[in-house]
Amino acid sequence: MKDRNLTKNTPGRLKRSRFDMIFLVLAGAMVAYVSYPIVNIFTLLKPTTFLESMVRSEVANAFILSLITATISTLLVAIFGIPLAYFLARIHFKGKFLVRLIVIVPLVLPPLASGALLLGIFGPHSMLGKAFPLEFTQSVLGVIIAQTYVASPFMILASQASFESVDESYEKVARILGKNRLETFLHVTLPLAKTGILVGFIMAWVRSVGELGATMMMAYNPHTISIQVFEDNAVGGLSNALPTILLVIVLSMIALAIFYILRKEEALKPIW
Amino acid sequence: MTGLELELVRLTKKFPGFTLGPLDLKVEDEILVMVGLTGSGKTTVLNLISGIIRPDNGSVILDGSEITHLTIESRKVGYSFQTPFLFPHLNVYENIIFGLKKRDEQAKKIYVKKLLDDMEISHLCNRKIQGLSGGEMQKVSLVRMLAVEPKIILMDEPLAHLDIPTRRKLRIEFRRVLRRYGVPVIYVTHLEDEVYSLADSVAILSHGKIENKGKLEAIVSSHSSHFVSEIFVGANYIEGKVIESKDGITIIEVGSDLVETLGDYSTGSRIGLLLRPEDVFLSKDAVKTSARNVIRAQVIKLVRQVSLTDVYLQTDYLHLRAKITEKARNDLGIKMGDQIYAMFKAISPQIVREDS
Repeated sequence: MKDRNLTKNTPGRLKRSRFDMIFLVLAGAMVAYVSYPIVNIFTLLKPTTFLESMVRSEVANAFILSLITATISTLLVAIFGIPLAYFLARIHFKGKFLVRLIVIVPLVLPPLASGALLLGIFGPHSMLGKAFPLEFTQSVLGVIIAQTYVASPFMILASQASFESVDESYEKVARILGKNRLETFLHVTLPLAKTGILVGFIMAWVRSVGELGATMMMAYNPHTISIQVFEDNAVGGLSNALPTILLVIVLSMIALAIFYILRKEEALKPIW
Repeated sequence: MTGLELELVRLTKKFPGFTLGPLDLKVEDEILVMVGLTGSGKTTVLNLISGIIRPDNGSVILDGSEITHLTIESRKVGYSFQTPFLFPHLNVYENIIFGLKKRDEQAKKIYVKKLLDDMEISHLCNRKIQGLSGGEMQKVSLVRMLAVEPKIILMDEPLAHLDIPTRRKLRIEFRRVLRRYGVPVIYVTHLEDEVYSLADSVAILSHGKIENKGKLEAIVSSHSSHFVSEIFVGANYIEGKVIESKDGITIIEVGSDLVETLGDYSTGSRIGLLLRPEDVFLSKDAVKTSARNVIRAQVIKLVRQVSLTDVYLQTDYLHLRAKITEKARNDLGIKMGDQIYAMFKAISPQIVREDS
């Protein structure tokens, strides 16, 4: 009893309690702020409305379109972005700093501005628009172009960080053991960086699914799930958009769960 | 695999504030230990030979062919780093077969088993890398390197991160395996006992230049420069042939001198011992003590260091250094050219080398 009082009265103990309390309150407020809108959906949503929405063909089409376009966009970002990330992580060249800045431009630009920039290149009156007999805007292709642009930094930055975390000595050892640069990349660098790259893949995919601004500029039609939410809200108010919002939330939560499982695996990796 | 030779001709590499070379070096089928202080350019030499960095001038010639401009993967060089760098996403077996080409699975298994048996680590074959000790990792790393049958082996202080008993044990095993493999080996270190344990020849690297190169005994006994004595300040090195070994006592023959030490070794094998100068007692007369080794030798040099004196002794075949106080030297009246007795216990030497 005596010991406990002593502990309570020490200045260190008192400070730590105050610190914990302040941070707990601030952190709790943040969690509540983020989670309450999601929880609130269930109080606003009527089961009958939800079921009615689920059978609406435009919601199903938008949902399927988003899954397909987000996957294609993410694959495109991976094909072009992973080599870029590797270069940024491993190769020293003049202008590297500038390339690093360019890579994050889609992240810092307002999505509508990104869409406007893309319209300037792919719009019907642009050079590319005139040169190719393709519908770059108001088409599935337009959706993919917009999503690829906006999602690219997530894949590139995550992959770059992951490549940087792989000790270059593993690559040297592989080369000394007779593997050429491509074999070394495929058999050593990629497997060792894979968790970070997968995290980038998921982040890029989630960003593509949720993309609205750039997609609206490039291709309002056909509707992606985000545009469907926007339109449902515009036409019938919040209650009309809620079922689609819930669908997007569930989809994002599944992707984020995968993301956290991968992150956990990464944390368990041995450090050399 | 014998008769391979590595030659460095006028090899030069410039860095800001440091230039390596021009370096001329020939390494035959032997273990060459390259010694030098930190920053002397030891690792740079290995990196130039392996192709990790390119020289500004000069050539690297391996087995009669110039490899200076070949890619790393086409040089057939084995390189062992301070850290073993076993691939963490592969198990021990997968690590070892990583560099193997065009062998069917069964042949690979037999080949790997033989290599693992030779290093006495067959039990690790299917283990994950994460569960291995530091010593086991270095052994697996050595096996992985030998598996691709390199034409030259480069080792950059591979035992540096291990505890002292493991290091002692592994040095003897490494020498056994490397000698059997029979290709040129360059082993880089700054530790004196690693030189004694592993070297056939020694090259001293100082400020990017090879200051001296020769057979181990010649280099050690020469103390030709300030730098050499800086590296080899420590123990006496005694190497001889085992003529008798029983009940934990081994007698080795060094010319006409006999030295007793502890341990059981095969008769006919050669062992190397390190003996600290502080463990050598001196006497003017042959006195009976518990020391099993009593050697009559001539004083050839006296070096006074503050209150201590290094007494250098020589028989027909043995060179010994004893460290005694200046007062003890005065009391005994030891002078240059005196014939005196050097004594040390059988327990004093440390075995650093064993060649069957």
